[in-house]
Order: sequence, then C-alpha cells, then structure tokens
Amino acid sequence: MATQSRLNRQTPSLIETLQLRLLPEGSASAIRYLALLMVLVLAGISLFPLYWALITSFKHPSEVATIPPSFVLTRPVLKNYVDLMTGSGVANSPVLKWFWNSVFTGAVFTLGVVLVASLAGYSFARKRFPGRDKLFWLIISTMLVPAWSTLIASYVLTLKLGMHDTYWALILPGLASPFALFLFRQFAVTLPDELFQAARIDGAHELQLWYLITLPLSRPVLATLAIFTFTYHWNDFLWPLLVLNKPQIYTMPVGVSIIMFQLKGTGPAYGIGMSAAILMSVLPIVAFVLMQKQMIQGITIGSLKG
Amino acid sequence: MTDRVDKIGSGWRQGTKTFPWPRLTNAQSEKMWGFLLIAPFMIFFAVFFLLPYGMVIWLSVVDWHPRGVTEYVGLQNYVDVVEMPSAQKSMFNSFYYALMVVPISTALSLLTAVLIVSLRSSSMRSFFQAAFYLPGVISGLAVAIIWRFVFDFHVGVLNYFLSLVKLEPVNWLGNIYAALPSLAGMAIVSSNGVAIIIFCAALLSIPSSLYDAAAVDGAAFWRKHWSITLPLLTPAMLYVIVVSTLGALQVFVPVYVLTRGGPVHSTITVGYYIYNQLIFYANAGTAAAAGLLLLVATVGFTVFQFRRFSQVVEF
Repeated sequence: MATQSRLNRQTPSLIETLQLRLLPEGSASAIRYLALLMVLVLAGISLFPLYWALITSFKHPSEVATIPPSFVLTRPVLKNYVDLMTGSGVANSPVLKWFWNSVFTGAVFTLGVVLVASLAGYSFARKRFPGRDKLFWLIISTMLVPAWSTLIASYVLTLKLGMHDTYWALILPGLASPFALFLFRQFAVTLPDELFQAARIDGAHELQLWYLITLPLSRPVLATLAIFTFTYHWNDFLWPLLVLNKPQIYTMPVGVSIIMFQLKGTGPAYGIGMSAAILMSVLPIVAFVLMQKQMIQGITIGSLKG
Repeated sequence: MTDRVDKIGSGWRQGTKTFPWPRLTNAQSEKMWGFLLIAPFMIFFAVFFLLPYGMVIWLSVVDWHPRGVTEYVGLQNYVDVVEMPSAQKSMFNSFYYALMVVPISTALSLLTAVLIVSLRSSSMRSFFQAAFYLPGVISGLAVAIIWRFVFDFHVGVLNYFLSLVKLEPVNWLGNIYAALPSLAGMAIVSSNGVAIIIFCAALLSIPSSLYDAAAVDGAAFWRKHWSITLPLLTPAMLYVIVVSTLGALQVFVPVYVLTRGGPVHSTITVGYYIYNQLIFYANAGTAAAAGLLLLVATVGFTVFQFRRFSQVVEF
C-alpha cells in the first residue's frame, strides 16, 4: 500500500522524503501503524478531560456523579446550563452580564491591541530611526520576565488611577502587547520593498503606506493576531480576579470561579461546573477551528524565525 | 489594485508642506514618522510595562497601605520573605513543580511530534497537531474546573479507573505528598500543544539532504538522529524549555481552583503566595519583594539554560 501511494505521485515531496529518513529503513507499514496507534492513544488521553466535561455538562444532575460513571451520553438535557444561567442558587450572579462584560471588553481590547501593534510593528519593520532595534528588543525581552514580578505594581498603579472595578482596568494595561508587536513586525519585514517604493513615487503619504499597503496585505496575520488576542483576554483569569471586586463588573472566568467556590463543587454541582467550563471554551474552540492553519503558523513564527 | 493606486495620489505630498512647517529632508521625515507611528504603543508600554518595573522596586522597600501612610522600611520586606516559612515553601514548591513538569512534558511533546511527523498523510498530521493543541486554547480556569471533577476522591474518573484494576483510591488533591504531583500531572497532560507544534515545524524544516549524506556515510538509524535531528532541534528545544519553565514557575490558576495552596502548604507556589500577600494580607510590599526574588531566580535560570544549550549548539 505504502509504496503504491508513493508511485502514484511523480515526485515525492520534501516532507515525504524526510519521513522516509526519520524511520528505520525497511520498516514500512508495521512501524507506521504502531506510530499511528501511539499518537491516537496520546491524543485520546489529552482530549479525554474535554470530552468528559462535554458529556457531563449535558447529563441530568442526578446522573452527574454516579459510580460507575457512564462514558456515553444517553439522555442529553440542558438542566446544568439552565441552572448556571439562572445563578444556580448562588446569590448575586448575573451570568449573562458577565458574558457581556467579557465579550465587550474583549472586542475593544482586541481592536486596540491590533491597531496599536500594527502601527508600531509597521514602523519597526520599515522605518529607519535611531535606537530602533535596541528599543524593539527591549520590548520583546519583557516577554521573558515573569508577569508576577510586576503584577503587584500594575495592581497598585491601576488602583491609584481609579481603574479598579471599571472596564478600563480590563482594556488599558495590556494594550501595548509585545507579542502582538513581534508577530506583526515579523510579518511586515517580509513585505517586498518595491511595493513601498512604488507607492512613495506615486506620492503616497506615510499613513497611506500603512493603511493602503501594509494592512490589506497583512490580513491573514491580522486575523490571527485578533483571534490570539481575543482568546487571551477571554481566558485571562488572574488579572480580572485582582482588579474586579463587584459582581456587576466580573468577567466570565471570575464569575464562574466565584460560583464554583460557593457551590463547594461536590456531587451534582460538578454538572454546573462542567457546563461553565464548556461555555467558557466554546468561543476559543470555534475560533481555533476556523483559523487553525493561521494560528499554528502564528505559534511557530515566534520560535523559529525570530 | 488600480483604485488603490488612484487613492494613493491624493495624499499630502512630501516637500510641499508650507509655513510654519519646517521642510524636512527624507531622512528626517522618515525618522519623525518612525517615532510618530510607535508613539501610541510606546506610551502604553511606558505607563503599563516600564513604570511598574520602577514601582515594584519602590514597593518592595516600603510598607504600603491602600489608604493612609506609606513608610520606608528598607530591606525589611525581603527579610520577611526570606524568613517566612510559607514563602520558603512556595519557592521550593515552584521549583519542584517546574522540575516535574518541564522535563516530562518536553520529552512527551518531542515524542509526540516525532510520531506525528512520521505519519504519512499531511491532512492526518495537521489533524493531530490540532487535536493536541485544542486543550491549550481553552482557559486554564476551565481546565482546572474539569480536572477538579476528574481528581475527585469519591466520584472522580481517575479513582474509578484505579478501582477497575483493583487499586486503592488515591486522595489526589488532599494528600500532602500527592497534591503537587497531581497538579504537575494535570499540566503535563493538558498543555503540550504549543510545544508539539513547534517541534513538528522544527522536525519538518530539517533539510533532507543531511539525512541523505548520513545514509551515504552509512550511519545507522539512532546515529542519524543523535547527530542530526537532536542538534538541529536545539533552538526549538531551548525555546520550549525556556517558555515552559517560565510558565511552570508562575503557576497559579490550578492551585487557586484545585487546592488553594493546601493541604498544609503542600501546594503553595510563588504565584499563590504573592496573591495571598497582596489580596488577603494587603501586604503589597512583601508581595513586591517576593515578585522581584522570583524575577531574579527566573532570569538566572533562563540565562543558565541559554548558556548550557549554547555549549551544545556550537559544534
């Protein structure tokens, strides 16, 4: 089989030749199937908790914590989701408001990050000014510093600026994102210089070079960046936990953690926990499935081409 | 394309700027625009990234109160951190946790990446890359909530699996010896996606001519991987190890959701210690001092890894 499929193609691609090199000679199909089996097992282990949460969230509360557990879903019900949405007996838990807080601040944050980083990234990639590269690497090197070491100062700073318990605390502090700048700059460097020269000869203004040439050409990287940024903001738990204290302003993760804490999460309450976990995961998963290819490229840009 | 070119002509032209604007040479204008375009980023960066670096040093030498007076206390906060048993325990736990998570998950990711790359069809390769990355896109909070159920002593699936093979149930999160390794195990299983993708890309970028040359020289299977694959993977390996060490030393969310530092401080990590000092004891000074000590330890560790790896890379 293996040889046949190879003969069908006229020239084996570089990847295929490489694969042949990676495995011992003369061990064609048996080892290949063993590799496939091992990958399947490993993938099963890593995906099992997600599957388990998904089916548990749709079980009736009376079937959530049974021994032995049932690994297939027989009668899906929405009871856990309804309980979560209606506050599940925990006082002062406006779940829909939390959802909105997360979506709204996430959207504004993403827009801001992309705008600021694409302007700066364009400049760092294509303009010449003194100290440019030193400044760029200074910004990038802050990514290697543990967030905890400056978190306390950011907390005190935002407190002094009166931003706690407001949307500003969720939007402004992370707006200058070194990661976003890095991603955009690495892309903008690869654009052909002829394009910019031609536009300049046609009398393009500096800002026009940015929004008529750089931005349209970098649509894929902008989309990747937007999804990374939104997902990061959507998933962020520690920062909102520190700066938000009023239930009305909570983001989804903070609110869910408070519900989980008050329910003490035993027995049937796990059903509510699982539905909260699934609800929080839907947006990132949908975004990832839609943008899979670009996101995977985005991850490798940082590590290999830097 | 044509309409784009038309629009371009309508911009301000360089050199036609009139009084009171000074006429700029091209190099000057380039410089000015360079600074102008990075200005929005740099303003936010200065206020919310650079200013906190200064502030944290100031905070670490004062006794800070949200309201009321702030007193200069010298190095007292550092002394407090170094002498406090819970702080010592948290440093120890964070390094212990990192030592469990980083080597195992790096090795596991590398193994998985080698297996994925050896798959025949490219659609299957991207399918598995996506499958391993999927648990990484959801929030750490959601993962921790799910694992709280998995680890449950009475109704968790983990203890159910143990009972299937006639083993005693383990109190995963309630036993002082099991709790931290349980958290490490959770991290090892659920956060390999990024490393796997990076290793796959690195493996696929090794030029096949190297393997051809080795085959001509008659190198055996293991010899080829030892002398070609591993050395060429070093940059990717360094990146993965540095990033995952950084992440492991800062672990907070699983601790917060699953154990709250307990039982008896057996899972208190530096992150959780700082959080506690800041929020429960309103002790920003001590928290800042601990954060700076973590910074020094992490940077030291990173530099150490870079140096060790750079010795390996230079052949």
